[in-house]
Amino acid sequence: MLLDVTLSLLEGFGVTVQMFVLTLVFALPLGLIISFGSMSRFAPLRRLIQGFVWIVRGSPLMLQVLIIFYGPGLLFGLPLLPRFTAALLAFVINYACYFSEIYRGGIQSVPRGQYEAGQVLGMTKPQIFFKITLLQVIKRIIPPMGNEWITLVKDTALVRVISVYEIIWMGESYIKKGMIWPLFYTMVFYLAFNGILTIFFGWLEKKMDYFK
Amino acid sequence: MAILEVKHIEKHFGSTKVLNDISFSLEKGQALSIIGSSGSGKTTLLRCLNFLERPDGGVICVNGRVIFDAEDKTTQSDKEIRKKRLHFGLVFQNFNLFPQYTALENVTLARELMAKEHGSESKAAIREEGLTLLKQMGLADRANHYPHQLSGGQQQRVAIARALAMKPDILCFDEPTSALDPELTGEVLRVIRELAKQKTTMIIVTHEMAFARDVADQVIFMDDGVIVEQGDPRQVIEHPAQERTRQFLARYSQEE
Ligand SMILES: Nc1ncnc2c1ncn2[C@@H]1O[C@H](COP(=O)(O)OP(=O)(O)OP(=O)(O)O)[C@@H](O)[C@H]1O
Ligand SMILES: [Mg+2]
Repeated sequence: MLLDVTLSLLEGFGVTVQMFVLTLVFALPLGLIISFGSMSRFAPLRRLIQGFVWIVRGSPLMLQVLIIFYGPGLLFGLPLLPRFTAALLAFVINYACYFSEIYRGGIQSVPRGQYEAGQVLGMTKPQIFFKITLLQVIKRIIPPMGNEWITLVKDTALVRVISVYEIIWMGESYIKKGMIWPLFYTMVFYLAFNGILTIFFGWLEKKMDYFK
Repeated sequence: MAILEVKHIEKHFGSTKVLNDISFSLEKGQALSIIGSSGSGKTTLLRCLNFLERPDGGVICVNGRVIFDAEDKTTQSDKEIRKKRLHFGLVFQNFNLFPQYTALENVTLARELMAKEHGSESKAAIREEGLTLLKQMGLADRANHYPHQLSGGQQQRVAIARALAMKPDILCFDEPTSALDPELTGEVLRVIRELAKQKTTMIIVTHEMAFARDVADQVIFMDDGVIVEQGDPRQVIEHPAQERTRQFLARYSQEE
């Protein structure tokens, strides 16, 4: 029985991990692009992007998943996206917006004087970015990134609203058979995953500890 | 011939005129001090010379060659400016050292990047020179420390070495000691005095009147974006000709 449950939970956990990894793969770079847009000197673009980010961050991810899955069909008569793809799309957009704010905070926290010191030493803009600011930005965004990744692990549970069978769904299916412990068992998976993430980010922060 | 000639520099921020018809010249090997009350435009002037701000009017000549002319757009492209700003070095009020690099790396970084582009110098030679500069600043034993491990005075001396590493024709200081605790200003002023003795061409914005008087060959007093008085340091600081200079200095000696 334990083996049975473990296997079916692992199957659900696979979906969870896929959701997590694919969201990061797309949302991390997309967030950077959005953050540049939200800092653009061109005011209309900046306002548009900031407005979009505000809407996405201000409404529930679950709602966004539902809208992206059902919206195109009901509004425009388009065929439904595959469930997993629709959920992934919603996650990528949502997390890219959160990441963009983290990047923006990191970039803006580097004092103006750092750019200027590089400039008066005759460095080019790319040299200043790669040799001076980048590492300072990375150091500053590690802690909020860590929090966001851990939230993402837990958020993957939401995909069940459009019947993508992630781990909790699998665990819940045993309730019909009068078994509650598989649900507790799913918690072990989450805790192990987040434990690894916590250790990883702790290690990264340590690595960056050599400068202030 | 003057190493630096500044002619009729003007700078506005929006509708406020921050620099108005600033003209002066500086001989090679001489030190110029700029004094003046807060908001008089001293920092803005140094930032114009280092092209961190673009003047709205005027001409800047180094060694008799026009390096900036507000009327002539060809002197203002990014590429031109990047080359020409190396005539000047700038030491900031709050150091602006790069936190992720050691003292030595701070000094050598820009030179190494330059060498990578032009392939002119070996890394070892640049490093050697960086160590020599740090030694000159009395920081030989701090070469491998990171900025946050150094005192303010030490950080500022690293910043001076970093600026010197680019071999500028004219080294500018923007109130190099005003971010320091009083007991740390001495070590930085001593280093600048030493540079003056070695005939480094310098422009020093400072609030240390005694220092300006002793170290400079020429003093400029600025108020409200204009040069009110300029000349021999003893003359300007001890026997000012202008009423505005007198008032400024009187206020100063009261504070001290
Ligand atoms: N980027 C800017 N935008 C608008 N106004 C500016 C800017 N930089 C400086 N100013 C204004 O220009 C004037 C001159 O400033 P500046 O910093 O050059 O004075 P300062 O002589 O260096 O003063 P302090 O002794 O306080 O350093 C001030 O009124 C300041 O408010
Ligand atoms: Mg100033």
